[in-house]
Amino acid sequence: MSTLTIENLTKEYGDVTAVSDVSFEIEDEFVVLLGESGAGKSTLLRCINGLTDPTDGDVYLDGKPVSGSQPSIGMIFQQHNLVEGVSAYLNSLTGSLERTSFVDSLFQWNDRADKRKALEALQTVGLLDEAHQRVSQMSGGQQQRVGIARALVQDPSLVLADEPVASLDPSSAESVMGYLKKAARAHQVTALVSLHQVNIAAHFGERFIGLRDGWLLFDVEQDELTPDLIDDLYGDVETVGLTEQHAADPASERPEARVGR
Amino acid sequence: MDRLRTYLGLSTVGDSAVDEKLTELKRRKILRRLWTGLVIVVGAVLFDQSLQTVGFSFRELITQFPFFLEALPQYFPPTTYFGLPFIDVMQYWQFMIEADLFGKSQVTMAIAFAGTVLGLPGALLFGILASERVVPYPFNFVFRLTMSMIRAIPALVWALIFIPLGGVSPFTGMLAIMVDTTGYLGRLFTDELEEIGDGPIEGIESTGAAKTQIISFGMLSQVFRQFIAWIAFDLEHNVRVAISLGLIGAGGLGLELDIQRKTFNYTEMMACIILIVLLAGSVELLSQRVRSYLRDEDEVEKTGVLEAFLSAPRKIVESAAGRR
Repeated sequence: MSTLTIENLTKEYGDVTAVSDVSFEIEDEFVVLLGESGAGKSTLLRCINGLTDPTDGDVYLDGKPVSGSQPSIGMIFQQHNLVEGVSAYLNSLTGSLERTSFVDSLFQWNDRADKRKALEALQTVGLLDEAHQRVSQMSGGQQQRVGIARALVQDPSLVLADEPVASLDPSSAESVMGYLKKAARAHQVTALVSLHQVNIAAHFGERFIGLRDGWLLFDVEQDELTPDLIDDLYGDVETVGLTEQHAADPASERPEARVGR
Repeated sequence: MDRLRTYLGLSTVGDSAVDEKLTELKRRKILRRLWTGLVIVVGAVLFDQSLQTVGFSFRELITQFPFFLEALPQYFPPTTYFGLPFIDVMQYWQFMIEADLFGKSQVTMAIAFAGTVLGLPGALLFGILASERVVPYPFNFVFRLTMSMIRAIPALVWALIFIPLGGVSPFTGMLAIMVDTTGYLGRLFTDELEEIGDGPIEGIESTGAAKTQIISFGMLSQVFRQFIAWIAFDLEHNVRVAISLGLIGAGGLGLELDIQRKTFNYTEMMACIILIVLLAGSVELLSQRVRSYLRDEDEVEKTGVLEAFLSAPRKIVESAAGRR
């Protein structure tokens, strides 16, 4: 249960404005961030997470200003950003680093509760049996689920995901999104997920925020996401048009996600 | 007289531009020939003086050649197996047992291993602190420079420098290898750290981990296996260095070889050389297997068994000279 408040957030890289004057507030929802590549989705997420410092504006989590990376905000990356040489379990366990001292973490003397939490998180994403496997030997979809587990171990109140399924095939993408939504529900966290597959977004999102050239284009509920809005966002793109039928009516004839419901 | 002047290009025949150019070219040619002649004369004088200094004489070669032929069967003592002439391997073997050469190869291994272990903390510390991602530029250069200076001096010279500290002993050899490892292995660590990806670092950073945790989990964890592989590589290198340090008195196989050389026991010398080649070759093969196991994705250069043994002497010299 948490509230994320963005106030007039602006990020400039030299002459380029990646995010300009974006404000919104989300609370206990599964929110999808839409927009073309370069629209500022990643920059916005990185500013919220503290990996990048905004040029101007503020980020509040439950009323408190956010500065720097912290465990209450979990981050899931497009390229997983896991430590590939070690097991899924150890990767999941790195989510508890902030509350473990340096020496303890070095020797894996984490609290037993944290160790259990790491395995439970892997169980949530359906990887308990594979916990001992080295991440480099896992498929892209499995790796991303380990990424979700790591974020969950942080005990976050907000989970951010930066195009978590962009590099996955459609089936793995659907499964990963399913696990992500399930995890967000089970742990009662607010989620802000950037996606560029409109059909996946329409299927899983509860609220949609559209960015175009760094500006906030729309901020709508599920039933308000219309093909016209998508057209506005991407311009007249033929292949996006195809998926609009699903986007307009996500409930009809689309099979439920295989997992996570 | 005029013809000579013309030939040397000192006076011009005709007055067209072509004639003048021809004269100039002649002058240049003469000058070039004069220089060449001078270089040849100086070279000949130096060569003659060098021969005198080393005491070269054909008579020496001719009178000594029978002795060299006599020494050959001592290097390779002949015998017959089932009527076929072959080298008497048992003579080598007897000396190896007699002089406890296997015990002496253990000394060589001990010098290399203890030196590697003691040099490892320094290598880790310097290697990590020299990385720009850990210590910001230009402060990381303090550590880079220190390692460069250590590497500029080969292990052989370090051993000579440390003689007042530990005497002419295996202990001094170990100290030399310890310092050498800090400079060399540390540099390999730094290079490996330059190649790590930003992704895992950001991944760890995003969890709110402390700076030391970001370094150890985000950065070092990426290169852990590579570091182990480099340690195996450095141990292999240090065994070769330990052998050559023995030649200047640091003990082990190298020292035994030196003693046998001084007493003209050619069979025993060859026994030492054989064991040295076997030791250096086996350690290299072992280290390569370990490395190729650890670096499952990257390729490790693999030498064949025969090549490993044949190239051992050359690599021993290279390692001793610090040429990498």
